[in-house]
Amino acid sequence: MKRLKKEIIFYLIPLPLIFLSLFIGPSEQVGPIEILDWVLRKTTLLSFPGPTYDSMVETIVLHVRLPRVLLTFFAGAALTASGTSLQALFRNPLVSPDILGISSGAAFGAALALTSTWLPLQLTAFVFGLIAVGLSYFIAQRKGDVSLTSLILSGIIVNGIFTSLLTIVQFLTDPFKLQTIVHWTMGNLHHANWSKWESAFFPILLGGVWLYGMRWRMNVLSLGDEETRAVGLDPKREKIRILIPATLIASASVAVAGVIGMVGLAVPHIVRMMVGPDNTRTMPVSFAFGGIFLLLVDNFSRTVASFEVPIGIFTTLIGGSFFVYLLKRAQDLYQLER
Amino acid sequence: MAIIVKDLSFGYGEKTILRHLNFHVPAGKFTALLGRNGSGKSTLLRLIAGFIKPKSGSIEVCGVNVTSLSLAERAKRIGFLPQVHYPAFPFTVEEVVLTGRAAYVFSTPTNQDRERAKSAMRRIGIEDISNRPYTELSGGERQLVMIARVLAQEPKIMLLDEPLLSLDLLNQVKILNILKSLVASGLTVVAVLHDPNIAFRYGDHFVFLKNGMISNPERSDGFHNAHMLADVYGIKIEVIPVRNKFFIVPDPEGTEE
Amino acid sequence: MKLLRIWILIVWSSISFLSGYVFGETVNQGPSVVTDSRGKRLTFQKPFQRIVCLIESALSGLYMLNEEKRVVGISRNVYERSLFPYYGRMDERIRNKKIPSPGNWDFVNIESVLSLKPDLVVMWAQQTESIAALEERGIPVFGVFIKQIEDVYQEIAALGKLTGNEVRADALSRYTQNEIDRFRKRLVDIPPARRPGVYYMWAQGSLETSGGLSMVNDLIDLAGGRNVSASFPQEHLVVNLEKVIGWNPDVIVMWYNERKDPSDIIRDSQWKSIRAVKERRVYELPEIFLCDLWTLKFQYAVKMVAKWCHPGPLKDINLEEEKEEMLKILYTGKLLGY
Repeated sequence: MKRLKKEIIFYLIPLPLIFLSLFIGPSEQVGPIEILDWVLRKTTLLSFPGPTYDSMVETIVLHVRLPRVLLTFFAGAALTASGTSLQALFRNPLVSPDILGISSGAAFGAALALTSTWLPLQLTAFVFGLIAVGLSYFIAQRKGDVSLTSLILSGIIVNGIFTSLLTIVQFLTDPFKLQTIVHWTMGNLHHANWSKWESAFFPILLGGVWLYGMRWRMNVLSLGDEETRAVGLDPKREKIRILIPATLIASASVAVAGVIGMVGLAVPHIVRMMVGPDNTRTMPVSFAFGGIFLLLVDNFSRTVASFEVPIGIFTTLIGGSFFVYLLKRAQDLYQLER
Repeated sequence: MAIIVKDLSFGYGEKTILRHLNFHVPAGKFTALLGRNGSGKSTLLRLIAGFIKPKSGSIEVCGVNVTSLSLAERAKRIGFLPQVHYPAFPFTVEEVVLTGRAAYVFSTPTNQDRERAKSAMRRIGIEDISNRPYTELSGGERQLVMIARVLAQEPKIMLLDEPLLSLDLLNQVKILNILKSLVASGLTVVAVLHDPNIAFRYGDHFVFLKNGMISNPERSDGFHNAHMLADVYGIKIEVIPVRNKFFIVPDPEGTEE
Repeated sequence: MKLLRIWILIVWSSISFLSGYVFGETVNQGPSVVTDSRGKRLTFQKPFQRIVCLIESALSGLYMLNEEKRVVGISRNVYERSLFPYYGRMDERIRNKKIPSPGNWDFVNIESVLSLKPDLVVMWAQQTESIAALEERGIPVFGVFIKQIEDVYQEIAALGKLTGNEVRADALSRYTQNEIDRFRKRLVDIPPARRPGVYYMWAQGSLETSGGLSMVNDLIDLAGGRNVSASFPQEHLVVNLEKVIGWNPDVIVMWYNERKDPSDIIRDSQWKSIRAVKERRVYELPEIFLCDLWTLKFQYAVKMVAKWCHPGPLKDINLEEEKEEMLKILYTGKLLGY
């Protein structure tokens, strides 16, 4: 019962946090008072006496901050959950969505779209993220089943391929577009709008629910292929059933938010250090805590800098430090033998 | 008969590992599978478990052809204990045993599944360590946990691949006693063992593999002559009767080959 | 009044052109010196005969000076969709794709340049390595880097000297300055407080703009507007959407954009509270060639933006006529009908 209490906190935080995050932002004219005033007007008939910046406040809260806050939360949830499930799938805590080529594929897709005039940005990035993982899988597989070592190796190859392709695109384009490509790659939540939300919401929801349904089977799978077969599950099929949704949500996230380091690798560890390795608990907590984490980091970056600093810088610094702290405290909870 | 093997052949590419095997495994008994390293014992076990398909011949388990069953259906009848390994994550004993219920679980285990897991742990006598991380256990404890996991599957037949490997004598005895008590309650147990003396001490029925073929399969009167055993293991053997059992010791004068 | 001015200028230009042609090449007045954007001094005896011009803005200057016969190599983008129709019309060699293009403004093939045996190369000053490679082989390089309006005047004067046609260069400069003055006088009565706030949007992204020290800033200034991003000094920067909403510009000017139109901005829910969007004062500069901010044609951009900013006071201005006149004078009839 005591353990259950710990997790409930993570399920209770998101909604109030999302609401409070709406108050954070760089506008000089739109501060917390103005927002509170607007909220009161909308929900009750009360209001503060004072100037009516109504339409500006409404635009900023509903069309600039709200989509960004929601998108940040979902991206963080998706990346973390993807990382947790891939670590269970690969039986290796050093794995992240990047290892299969999602980020380099999506970055290449985005670069293509940014240098062309007709390719849609999010969709191209998303599709190329999927292509990269599909390629990794097909290189590694034999007779439909895939050894995890081969998958990691082919992921390295695919990463190399797409990084080179990205370099070619960057080389051939003019300096202004190049700058845009680099900015996109570093994390671009400040371009969040409702249309990006619409394109990311459905794949992340679909993949997320699917992945959530697989949470107990991850436990079975992480004991080994033969062990899985012994208890009546087909390891080949279960691997695909985890790989597909994990890729889906990670690719959708990178497509709308850019490449954000640390979240797919370190945050799952943080989750595991807090609730243990049982995936029936780490999966829901990964969604909740991953979203909370990224949202807090983004709030921090919005308060600290008046211009846009790529969020990847903060996730690495903050996430990395927190991770080191927990690692030191956890003694030898992990025995990475082999 | 729990298991009927008819004319079973198996190989990889041009290499043949098992040739025209024919034997029975009696129900409710402890059957030991013996032979030299590389004689195909583990492969045979995996064929019986349905993990691999034979080149020719058939395997019937509880009256049903093994290859006709789905993975889950197989798991409900046959429990398989692979050789020990180290998982990457420190799952608790209870979490590990619970995974044995996979054939019965849709998405996540129900309370009934948890109950079955708990009773399996009680049966093996490990419920006091149910919250300890699996990675911190000794070799013997781990083996017990894995056996409890198989038990949670509620199978009729248990197949064990070298369950006593690298265990000290006390742990070996513990496990063998548990296996015997499971047999007493109706389970059919087939274990690949490497020590013939242990096998003869605890087993009821014996199958010997040499070069992919059965040696002297149907003698069931408990007498195993030195000549046959020497043939199977390729060394000179002395058979020493002790009370109404037999012990075999290698003849220090050397090998037959 | 206006017609007389045109007549005087045409006569003047013809005289300059003829006298330049007759006198410019035969009278030897000792070595000339020209300083390029890097501050490097080029000393030469005679005007250059074989010019490879790898930056289109300088190339258009050469055409304005009627010195295009000296050009033996051009940049690749001249053959592209947005520029080819104009140059094809002006020069038969380009129409038939006879002039080689050994590079672009951001990339140079040294061997191809050398094979054209140039005596002068005009290129973007930032390409330090390529410039060094050419200068090492004894080929003088005129580096171009335009930061503000002054640089445009200096460039055309330098090109005039390099081709021995300083007279015409001078005339064109003065024509441009007069045009700018003409508009300035029209708007001189408008007090600074009534200058509309203008947000300038580059084509790479709707949040990409130019700050206080830039050509764009000068453009807006001369047009009688106020650059809302002027508080940032950078020539090119990415701003935060909330900042733009806070600045609440009266007019939005988009650089020529293949992906977006003013209607896309007007429809966008994130921009709808901005005054410029509400009043539908969102405009796009129509053509790169005609509005090129890095040539004397920037005057046309100034006129356009001025009219967008002050539709009332400049009601009588006909932008089409202004454009026709400018092309006639700058390109002396080579571009009839545009």
